[in-house]
This record gives sequence, structure tokens and C-alpha cells, in this order.
Amino acid sequence: MTRDQHRRLVAVYLVCCVMGTVSTAQRAQDFQRKASMLLAAEPENPKCFAEGRKAFTCFWEEDEERAGPVEQYSFTYAYQNENGSRCPLTVAPAAGGKKLFVCHLDRIQMFVQLDIQVHRESVMIHNRSLLVELVFLLDPPENVTVSSTGHQGQLNVSWVPPPLKYMDDSMIYEVMYAKEGDPAGQVEVARACSELILRGLQAATRYRVEVRVRLDGITYSGYWSAWSDPVWMETLPADLDPLIVSLTFIITFILFLLCLIVLLSHHRFFIKKVWPTIPVPDSKFQGLFTVYGGDLQEWLRQTSGGLWVTSALLYSEERPSPVEVLSELNLCRSLASPPLPPKACNASTQRDERELSNGSDSAQTDEWRATQQQHWLMERLRETRPGMGSSLLESQDTYVTLSTNNHSEEDHVDDTLEEALPLEMHVASRKTPLSEFHSDLGSGQQSSGSGRLSSQSSFEYPSQGWTPKGPGYTYMAVADSGVSMDYSPMSRVDDLGKVALYANEYKNEIPPHRRPFLTRQYHVHDDG
Amino acid sequence: HWTCPGLPSPPRPICDLRVLNHFIQEARDAEVAMKSCRDGCGLTELVSVPQTTVNFDDWERKNATEQAQEVQTGLWLLHQALGLLQASMTDVDLNNHIDNSIRNLLSINAVLRSLNIQEYTPPTSAVGLEGTWKVSSVAEVLQVHVNFLRGKVRLLLVGAEACQQDVS
Repeated sequence: MTRDQHRRLVAVYLVCCVMGTVSTAQRAQDFQRKASMLLAAEPENPKCFAEGRKAFTCFWEEDEERAGPVEQYSFTYAYQNENGSRCPLTVAPAAGGKKLFVCHLDRIQMFVQLDIQVHRESVMIHNRSLLVELVFLLDPPENVTVSSTGHQGQLNVSWVPPPLKYMDDSMIYEVMYAKEGDPAGQVEVARACSELILRGLQAATRYRVEVRVRLDGITYSGYWSAWSDPVWMETLPADLDPLIVSLTFIITFILFLLCLIVLLSHHRFFIKKVWPTIPVPDSKFQGLFTVYGGDLQEWLRQTSGGLWVTSALLYSEERPSPVEVLSELNLCRSLASPPLPPKACNASTQRDERELSNGSDSAQTDEWRATQQQHWLMERLRETRPGMGSSLLESQDTYVTLSTNNHSEEDHVDDTLEEALPLEMHVASRKTPLSEFHSDLGSGQQSSGSGRLSSQSSFEYPSQGWTPKGPGYTYMAVADSGVSMDYSPMSRVDDLGKVALYANEYKNEIPPHRRPFLTRQYHVHDDG
Repeated sequence: HWTCPGLPSPPRPICDLRVLNHFIQEARDAEVAMKSCRDGCGLTELVSVPQTTVNFDDWERKNATEQAQEVQTGLWLLHQALGLLQASMTDVDLNNHIDNSIRNLLSINAVLRSLNIQEYTPPTSAVGLEGTWKVSSVAEVLQVHVNFLRGKVRLLLVGAEACQQDVS
């Protein structure tokens, strides 16, 4: 033998020794595990189990303190109608200060009664008769595999049965599965097969699966094996039930149709709500915005504004709204003018101030014209609404007073459309003092460029009754036309330089070329 | 031969072991019933019964014919023994079980015929037959009956060539 061959033999020998050592250690570990199971499951002694067609092991347990040396014990066995034989014993350590006496047989016979006796110093300590094919303790199934079946709530479990010829169809399996974190679980039984589908599982849940095996007890029998090593698997996420999805779509479609029907049947109401019409005076003041850029003074100067307005008022088929012009001189002497609302705004523009300063120079020249106009207006109003003058005083409507400053008491009747002078607007109502009036803009054709109108307008006034404000007031009852305005306190002519005119701030977004025009007394038709 | 008119077709092989399991269960029921018998349930003479011992290595060393003959001999012996019990037993309940067991033995023979296992009848005299035991009690006879069915009979059915072809 050459040196190389010698080395190879030594290497093979060492490998075999190592493998044998590992195998022995593994067998020892397996035996310890099975012994512990039988100590708990089998009450009789000695405890015996068959691992396959050939291997058969019996053992019993004794306290180390009371146990004697192994030579004191004898293990004898005899099959039916045969002579007895003796089994050599070995000792294995056990937990809890105990030791195991073990008999291992490599040649066994089945389907025949086996009589076993254990003696200690000629004294029988254990006696048992059994059938070997009825005490199988198998190894757990190997290669346990858990996979998804492709269906929701299912897992496919497969395993490799213990390799025992003639016994495949006699094996039953228990498959234990539990959700993650659940110490208990459920068990499914499978007979004579190596695959099982778990159903009714929760979606998107991690499951632990273990399998054990036992012989069915008809031809062969025995004890449940140990559980296989756990295998984890997560189920598929939940799918939308097609029925639920379809019902959801149908219900949504039906609701959509119902909403559409409601919208179509009340489309006018919704249009009125969303896009309320803004009454604009374009039709009554032709050219005021397009030509004069909203400058009422200029418009009046260039046109017969007052007469035109008057004619439009009188000859229009439309009935005037409750915006009535009262002349304080004749009718309202005893009528206390309401004070200005506390929310008087002193805002003004510089342009207004300039206009006022320029206008004050021509105030006197326009006085006579304003007086004549006022008389004419009062006559016309009486014609259209008989008894309006006195009844107006008793009117319960909200009304706005327009006054021109710098008039004497006896001349306050001449206060009318004074272009150059600022006007004071008093708002009062006899009906409900100290309340805000809110009114909608009402339905009507909306003028262009006012798509974002406020639907409210407020009139605030501080007191219940009229209080005289002094001379020069022209009262005008104004119905709420839906245009909100801020009312600034009346500024007298001599205070023009100090206090700016009130500016009517529109909540509505009127195009830039249309400036606020309510600086004078005017009649406004509520086209709503 | 099998295509000639008028001749019966060969029986389908009975490979389902649940049939044998049913016979085994009924044999166990008879054994359990025997334990509760007090009077009129004894044998007056020794009877020969087949040996039930199975060593898998030894069994696999035998060929199919030997296995079939061993099983059919055992079934014949059991039939003889159960016949003696039927004649001597006075317990009605136990007699019913024995009658049932005898019918099951005949059914097993029919199963073997379905597997194309050649019929074998041992010699009339069972004395000196190998592979037999002598028993003196009814309990032993019924125990042998159960073990023989669970062991050799089952091994023969599991390994029957007709069933192997059916599986493949």
C-alpha cells in the first residue's frame, strides 16, 4: 500500500467516524425526544415503541439514587409459541435525576404476541405483553411545504410520509395551523395522503403550519409522532367580491340618476341659487357706464338724466319697486329722519373728494334745478301712487333718506339730486329696528360680469324711530334690491374738506368700468 | 378464451383494502365478544390454526406463489377451526360472530380469486403442516383469526400483482 492510499484510507476512516459520531448523537437526541413523549403517553412498563419494520426499543425509568448497576437487571422477551430470549441493556441519562434502562432489538416479528419480563436480581419488576405492529412511534413527516393555491383563504400543505413499506395506506396525519400570535390553532385530519388544502383562512394573514403522523389502528397502530418543524406562510390578500363591486356600481349609478333627475327638475331653482341675477341699471341709465364710465354727475350733466330717469320711471311698464322718494320739505317736516347707521363708513376715494370740492363751487347754481326737479318728482309720485306722500310716511318699508347738505330748513325741500353735493342716506324701518335686513338678489337676468355677487345685503340702523337730522334731507324709501351698501355718515358741505364722502362699497363684483353710482338720489327699479 | 360467448368475464380485481379492513373489524368484534363469554364458550379439543408471525424480510424472500399458498392454507385452517367452534359454542351472541367470521373467510377467498391468485387447497389432514399452531381455547382461535387477517392476508393483497398494475 502506497503512502497516498494509506492517507486516503485514514481520511475515509476519519470521515466515517465523524459521520458515525454525528449519527449516533442524532440518534441519541431522537431517542431522548421519543422517550420523553412515551413517558408522558404510556402508563405501562417497560415502554416500548417500533420506529420502522425492524427497529424496536423498550425502556423503563428509575431514580438514580435507587437504581442499581445495569448488571442487576435482565430484560427477557418471548414471541408466542417460541422460546424466550434476553436483550442486552444500556443506560441513558434522563432529566430530573433519573436514568433510563434501554433494550434495543433489530429483528422483530409482527402480528404475534410478544411477552416481556424485566428482572432485577431475579425479581420481576416489570411484565408486559404486546403486539409490535400496534406500538409504532414514527418520525414526524419531512419536507413540510406550505404554498398558496391561488384562491383566497386557502393554503396547500404537502409533506413526505415516513418511508414505511406496506403502511402508507394506514397512516393518518394531523395538520395544525394557527394564525401568527395565536398559541392554539385548528387541526385538520388527512388519511392516507400526503397533501391537504386548508380552507376558510383569513386573507392576508400569516399562518404557522405543523404536521404529525400516526398509524390508523386497524392493521397497524401506535402513538402520535412529534410535530414537524413549523412552516410559516401568508395567505393571499382579500379580493373584492365581484358581487359587491357590481352592486356598488349599480347603486352608485342609481343615485347619480336620481341626483340628475332632481337637478333637471329644479334646474331653475339651482341656477337662481348659484348664479343669481344682479339687477343692473344699464337699461335705465343708458350710456352711464359705457360712455361715462359710471360717472353719474357727468351723465346727468350731459344728458337729461333726471328727466330721463323720471320718464323711465313713469312710462316704464314696470311698476316701481318700493323705492320712494320723499321730499322732506312738504311731507317729512314732522318726520324725524333716522340717524345714520352706526356702521357709517367714512371711506371715500380721492376722486370723490375732488369731485366734491369741484362740485361745491357749483352747488348754488344747481340748487334751483334740484328744487324744480324735486317738486316735479313729488307730483309724479302722487299721480302714480295716490296718497303715497302721507302713506309713505307711514310706510313700513325700509327706506333710505338722501339728503343734501348745506340747505336751510325751509329749503330742504329743494334738496334733490344735487350733483355736486354729497348726499346722506338714512336708512330706517319702522318695522323691526336694529335688525339687519337680508335679502336675496332675487331671480332675474343676471348681467354680465357679476357672477360673484353676494346674496346678501345688510342695512343696519341704530334706533327705532326717526330723529331729525336737520334741514336739507330728502328721504327715499329704498327697497332692498339686493345690493349691499355701506352707509357713511352724512357729511355736510362745509365738512367736505374734512370728511370724505361715503362710498358705496359693493359686495358684488362689478366690472371696473362701472363705478358705484349711488351718490345721488335715484330711483331704482328692482328688476328682480 | 375470455371472448367466447356465454363465458363469464373475469372478476374485477378487488384492491380496495377497505374491504379487508371491514373483515378485520368484525373479527375484532368477535374477539371482544369472546372476553365477555362465561359459559358455553370453550373448546373440547385442540385445533390447528395458522401461524400469524410476520417478518418482513422473511416474507419478501418468498415468491408470490409461496405467499399465496401460505395465505390460502391459513384461511383453510381458520375455516376448519371456526367450524369446530360453531358446532361447540352455545352462546348465541358469540355464535353469531363466528358465523359472520366464517362468511368473511369465504369472501376473502373471493377477493383472492379476483386478484387472479391461483386457488390452493391444502391436504385434508392438517397434522404436520408447517406453519401451524395448536391452540386449546376459543380466545386463542379468535386472536389468531384477527392477526392472520391483519398480517399475511393483508400483505398478500397489498403486494398482489393485479393491484400493482391497477395502481400504475
